[in-house]
Amino acid sequence: MVQVKKLKDGSRQIILTAKQFDQITKVLSELAAKTKASTILLADISGQLITQRGNTDDINTQILSALAASDFAATSEMAKLVGEDAKFKLLFHEGEKRNVYLSNVGDNFFLVVVFDVSVTLGLVRIYTKKAIQNLLNVFESSEQGDDASKILDQDFSSMLGDMLDESFK
Amino acid sequence: MFINWALQEINLKIVYYGPGMSGKTTNLEYIHSKLDPSLTGELVTLKTKEDRTIFFDFMQIEVGRIKGKKPKFNLYTVPGQVYYASSRKIILNGVDGVVFVADSQKDRMEGNIETLLDLENNLMSMGYSLENFPWVIQYNKRDLPNTESMDILQKKLNFFNVPSFEGVAIKGTGVFDTLKSIINLVVQHVQKQL
Repeated sequence: MVQVKKLKDGSRQIILTAKQFDQITKVLSELAAKTKASTILLADISGQLITQRGNTDDINTQILSALAASDFAATSEMAKLVGEDAKFKLLFHEGEKRNVYLSNVGDNFFLVVVFDVSVTLGLVRIYTKKAIQNLLNVFESSEQGDDASKILDQDFSSMLGDMLDESFK
Repeated sequence: MFINWALQEINLKIVYYGPGMSGKTTNLEYIHSKLDPSLTGELVTLKTKEDRTIFFDFMQIEVGRIKGKKPKFNLYTVPGQVYYASSRKIILNGVDGVVFVADSQKDRMEGNIETLLDLENNLMSMGYSLENFPWVIQYNKRDLPNTESMDILQKKLNFFNVPSFEGVAIKGTGVFDTLKSIINLVVQHVQKQL
């Protein structure tokens, strides 16, 4: 299971192991090959980019995931306003040259598929659906990762402080 | 917080919150202009024609590797205007720490209090509370003539006695101190939670 830990104060911590990361990247590569999508991103609902495939040099994918997360969140609010009980599961933006297809992956993640208008939407839909199922399987695989206490020790805090001083000169 | 063990990355989300025109975007703009370009990404601002943030501003900063790990900080601002309430709630999703940018001008006190209550409500709806959540206050616009005294600002806004800073964001005063303080607080908080 991808560790989505609820901490004591209610905040959320998501931890991805190296193995899960590899598996996720594989699913995305397959999806990219089958759909000929130009760019594919997996991000978490807070806007954090997790991994990407395809042409990612021309696009600032970090910003794309932040915007896509907000897009998703905004439409969930819209869903509520129009009396829809659940969130909208997918969003589709149609352009002149490129289309963007966004789809939920469980409650905590979503996929962004950017593809050329020459690719049919039906194809993208079918393969994205399969990819989502595969991703959910990866997320449920029972591997435990180390938690943040292994990284964020006292040493780390003081070194981070020094580096911040250095960067903020 | 998002940890990716494969890439050894730790990602934290920090949100600048505060009433309209208090200087949240200005904080980010200053950080962006002063940091080495290799440490910071593009600053995206979704603004209206009148220079008000309509949805959010976003920027990512890095400080290099620490013990092999790569901490990354995602900085967001929210739109301050009252009618963008749902945008603010959305942006708080997955937040690790908050900088409350207050406007020190006397006639803005009500706006500060109202926005702070709005923040508390939004945090509570996600199961957090200002009482035990990492947040700091920046009293901005200290250079303007009609500012409230620090004493009164502290009494009215800083009821949990969180770290506070005097700021003139447009000149950069207090901007990095504020950011450093919230980053430290978030990291300490994570340590305590585990």
